[in-house]
Amino acid sequence: MKLLNRKKPEPKLPDYITENVSEELIRLEDLVKIYDTGALKVLGLKRINLTIHRGEFVAIMGQSGSGKSTLMNILGCLDRPSMGHYYLDGVDVAAMNPDELSLIRNRKIGFVFQSFNLISRTSALKNVELPMTYARKGKRFREQRARILLERVGLGKRAEHMPNELSGGQRQRVAIARALANEPPLLLADEPTGNLDTAASVEIMELFSQLHKEGTTVVVVTHEEEIAAFTERIIRFRDGEIVSDSSNVRKEPESCGTGSETEKQEATNATETEEQGWESAGEPREYEADRNMKEREKLC
Amino acid sequence: MLIENMLMAFSAIRANKMRSFLTMLGIIIGIGSVISIVSIGDTMRSMFEELYRKIGITQAYIAINYWVDDVRQSDYFTLDEMERIKEIFGDEIAYIDSDAMTSADAVCARTTVKFNYTGIDYNYQEVQPVNLVYGRYLNEGDILGRRKNVVMDTNSAMNLFGVENAVGKTFRTTIYGSVDEYTVVGVYRKDLNPFQAMMLGANTEGGEAFIPYTILTWPNDYFYDIRIFARDEATMDAFFDNLKNYVAKSKGRTPEEFRLITAKAQMGEWDNMMGGLATAVGGIAAISLLVGGIGIMNIMLVSVTERTREIGVRKSLGARTRDIMVQFLTESAILSACGGILGILLGAGIVMLGGRLLGVQAIVKPGVVILAVGFSAMVGIFFGIYPASKAAKKDPIEALRYE
Repeated sequence: MKLLNRKKPEPKLPDYITENVSEELIRLEDLVKIYDTGALKVLGLKRINLTIHRGEFVAIMGQSGSGKSTLMNILGCLDRPSMGHYYLDGVDVAAMNPDELSLIRNRKIGFVFQSFNLISRTSALKNVELPMTYARKGKRFREQRARILLERVGLGKRAEHMPNELSGGQRQRVAIARALANEPPLLLADEPTGNLDTAASVEIMELFSQLHKEGTTVVVVTHEEEIAAFTERIIRFRDGEIVSDSSNVRKEPESCGTGSETEKQEATNATETEEQGWESAGEPREYEADRNMKEREKLC
Repeated sequence: MLIENMLMAFSAIRANKMRSFLTMLGIIIGIGSVISIVSIGDTMRSMFEELYRKIGITQAYIAINYWVDDVRQSDYFTLDEMERIKEIFGDEIAYIDSDAMTSADAVCARTTVKFNYTGIDYNYQEVQPVNLVYGRYLNEGDILGRRKNVVMDTNSAMNLFGVENAVGKTFRTTIYGSVDEYTVVGVYRKDLNPFQAMMLGANTEGGEAFIPYTILTWPNDYFYDIRIFARDEATMDAFFDNLKNYVAKSKGRTPEEFRLITAKAQMGEWDNMMGGLATAVGGIAAISLLVGGIGIMNIMLVSVTERTREIGVRKSLGARTRDIMVQFLTESAILSACGGILGILLGAGIVMLGGRLLGVQAIVKPGVVILAVGFSAMVGIFFGIYPASKAAKKDPIEALRYE
């Protein structure tokens, strides 16, 4: 009887998981990533210095090959930098081994992917439970929390559905619920709307905004201006370097087409980082203006 | 976590039903053939044991060894000697006779049937009970009075007289040159299964009958061997040795020069032979398990490649190397164990069906079944290690990028 009632003790976690201390959630110091392809070495990231505070809503932008995906992988602890330091929640994760990184990913980071990446043939509920399973949480706890999370993303009634029975937007919401499972301080979204239509994109971004308001730090990697427009800070990448880092006035969807474009334009100009030279500062603005036009057409 | 892994494994197996089944087929055939061969072996062994119990497991023969060149008349036995043995070893002997038998044509009216006659003492039925259906067994008076009475089985009675109840009927036969009329006093029914009938060489056309041994063995006869049934199976080995030593000594021979044939030793030989055969053939069948295992490895490698992205996702959600490893190992072990269980059902089914058709009780030992399931799971785990470690070692970024 005693054996049956015995409660499994929660596994002991290392201090770097249990102590979350830092107001600076992410701090990158001279971060370098070199891809060694044998014949030649490619510089993926060139001495990146970046700080993201708790509670920020950040967009990382750039075209393909700009290094934003590399940064995303490193921020997500999927990859390790070649040089420099990455402090996540005050802990340097740059030198951790793969299993330690797994633990960090499990507890500190919630991933949202472009292609949703739900486990197929597995119900929404089970998908949301998965990170908790890897965190060795009890079955009842997992199920309860997964239901709460699905309720929170508006899919309470679809908990038992399989991913292929859900629409793209719904799948992405399941993915977001899954990302939130272990209450990670950081939500990393890699092109979260890349496979969604406009309406669903707005829905998802609204959800991120909501989560941000509730205190989660959200970092979105995107190349779409209209997506970045939802965030409060936009970091632009080109050729493995940060070319601009500016705050962004959150565009409310209701105010669409009422001159928000110019407002935002001004804000971007005003906070452009001083280190940036004219050659890198000029181009994105043009590009941005062009994109803002398209965005208006799309959203309105 | 283990339960989670098992559920995941089952859902993965269900997702590819045909493929999973074909993969399992190797294990099913492997385990099925191992189970059926081992079970056939076990069944045969039990059948031989039953057979020897039927002819008397406590039975033994003692005679001069076949390699002795200078066989003297004293190496043979006489009834006096038999009586002496009976006196000395009376407590341990359940039955003793001169192992006398002969065959001759039995004639009744126009029917002639070749009969085998076995000379027995009146208490033979104590060691070899028969299911007497008509009349009586040979009694002490028949033996001592050398009465020409016989007891035969229903088949022989049918062959000779055309009826089962042949009590009181007579026939003529020639034993040791003297033509006499014999009377049937009892008829018994043989309960033999087909296997026993085959092994005991029951001839359906001929006949056999018990007659008093005193008709076949006269007081001044020398006979080649004595037949003994020990009273106690537990101590019979020692008793037989003592008896052999005594016989050898009384005849001025070394114990090695006399031969002791026991039913138990003979049964042991069969048992060893069957066991060896089953092991050898089972070993060959086990090779098909190896092939099945390789099939599992192959399909797991395919599965790992197909699910590269899933592995990446799991890793990004915090699965450690070990978690992925255990997940795939569980899957291959379950795949293999399912094959093992189906294989057991197949193998046991075949053996049971065969046993039913042949009219024998088939034996499938639980130990063999447990061993087979365990072994198949082991095969699954062993052949799953390489694909699982391949899965576990995948780089999460590469895996997530995989299309």
